[in-house]
Amino acid sequence: MVELAGLTEAQRRGRNRARLRETAVSLGMMGPAVLLYTVMTVVPVVVAVYLSLTDWDGFSTAAFIGLDNYQHLFDDPSSTDAWYVTALIAVAGTVLMVGLGLVYALALKAKSRTNSFFRAVAYFPHVISALILGYLWAAILGTNGAINNTLAKFGIDPVGFLFDEQFALVSLIAVIVWAGFGFNVVLFVAALQTVPAELLEAAAIDGASKRQINLRVVIPMIAPVVTVATVLNLVGLIRAYDIVVSLTGGGPAGSTQTFTYLILARSFEGTKVGYATAQAVFLMVVSAVLALLVTALRNRQDQAATGS
Amino acid sequence: MVTLEAKADDRPKVVPASLKDDDVPRADREESRSPVRWVLLGVLFVVMVVPIYLLVVNAFKSQQDILDNPFSIPLGGLTFEHMSAAISSPQFNVIGGYGFTLFLVVMVDVFCILLAGPAAYAIARSLKKRTQLVLLYFLAGTFIPGAAVIIPVIYVLREVGLANTVTGLIAHDVASTLPVSIFLFVGFIRTIPVDIDHAATIDGAGRYRTFWTIIFPLMRPAVVTVLILNSIGIWNDFVSPQILLSPSSGHYTVTTAIYAGISQYSTDLTKVFPNLLLAVAPVVIFFIYMQRHIISGLTVGAVKG
Repeated sequence: MVELAGLTEAQRRGRNRARLRETAVSLGMMGPAVLLYTVMTVVPVVVAVYLSLTDWDGFSTAAFIGLDNYQHLFDDPSSTDAWYVTALIAVAGTVLMVGLGLVYALALKAKSRTNSFFRAVAYFPHVISALILGYLWAAILGTNGAINNTLAKFGIDPVGFLFDEQFALVSLIAVIVWAGFGFNVVLFVAALQTVPAELLEAAAIDGASKRQINLRVVIPMIAPVVTVATVLNLVGLIRAYDIVVSLTGGGPAGSTQTFTYLILARSFEGTKVGYATAQAVFLMVVSAVLALLVTALRNRQDQAATGS
Repeated sequence: MVTLEAKADDRPKVVPASLKDDDVPRADREESRSPVRWVLLGVLFVVMVVPIYLLVVNAFKSQQDILDNPFSIPLGGLTFEHMSAAISSPQFNVIGGYGFTLFLVVMVDVFCILLAGPAAYAIARSLKKRTQLVLLYFLAGTFIPGAAVIIPVIYVLREVGLANTVTGLIAHDVASTLPVSIFLFVGFIRTIPVDIDHAATIDGAGRYRTFWTIIFPLMRPAVVTVLILNSIGIWNDFVSPQILLSPSSGHYTVTTAIYAGISQYSTDLTKVFPNLLLAVAPVVIFFIYMQRHIISGLTVGAVKG
């Protein structure tokens, strides 16, 4: 007995040492990634939070001014205007992208060569830089663009797609939807292909029309994926920047300035960096809340679905 | 099942043909008869492809020709003058941008794999709660709007002496790829049986060796996804190179070259179209060849990330 206890004692010591070694190796494996991520991603966020509480202008020493910058967010018209533009882009863009995504996914869900060709046609802008797509559309929709020059041939006055305050935001949203809905098509097709065929046959035999089947059976079946797409679209669009730079440059008269556009424009004026970082922190909080909110809604939906 | 099929076939009008995935040939034939479907697909094709058509044909026309007949195929007035001018332009050269952008893509891909791989392995194989917190810590990064907090990144780079350097840009880009890459890797490694690790350990392999020689080769699908995701992301990135590398650095990526060139000559369409075509061509060719991988890779990356 005594001998055995001694053995376990030695074993335990050995095991402890092995475990310690194991932990050290684990730390060694994670260390470099954690370090780089912390320095390059987390520290800037902490710095942003700190700067947002100061009046830093990019050069002089920063003075602590508390929550003044955040208060300013709600009474500064350029900031509230940018929020209005961003919210409109995010909501209208998401609704259109999800809607078109569903329509085309239902049309293209069957496995065939024709369908995968059309899926690729809908998808391809997703791999091209938004900046470049914006310049391309600017060359098509601009005053000297392909559409206006063709209209002019028929004696029609040029349309200010990008230079008319009313039209510019609509054009911007249209181009964003053009570039982005194909992603949803692919996402939804993948989900639709997992809906069991028997279910649809059963519904058809019960006398449901094609539209009824799509609305009552198919779409509820892929609801979780629709939620994922909604989150991704909302969170992506709330950060819209590149395409604004190249398509409208925030104009005319600031009517298409999104929040990120405003933040970066402000930061380079070099006078209101503190305020710009307050906007960035606020944007970060909004996009996190949005993502968590929609995901929580989805979880509740899922629970309701499995509960009943 | 059999009786169901038979019934359905008895009443072909009731069963929506397009819903019958298991009967592809027939479904296809009936689908193609539906006029609504073909109108939808026709509109899709025109709306998606016309901008690219305009980009290609107008890259080989004179300014007057572009203004007069933007939609025509330049059979008579075909000119390579502006395209070759764009190729050899000394300012904001897009072709020159290819080299630097490709360099960035390769560096970021390599360092991302070198850092994310072992980290994901350690996280996936650990049973401790603490290690799972590390995964959550990385996942929080997906909530950070990169472009909006790029100014504080300059601040940090200045502190560590990497402001306005290519190294600084690469460090920032690698860090930005880590959350999604680690997340995808962890998910994949967890599907690989731990017995394989144990066998390697018994044979005397250390943890690093087990990872790089046994596990990593098994992770090919996840690695391909991550490489595609990162490569396209870095190739198309505009904000980071534009802001972290000032023009004085003399380095242009494809996007920052386009920005510098086109914002200056936006009314000269003989500069706009050829340069945009040069910028788009590599990505579109890559997409056509790797379509299946890219579509599934980007979709998986976005959904799981």
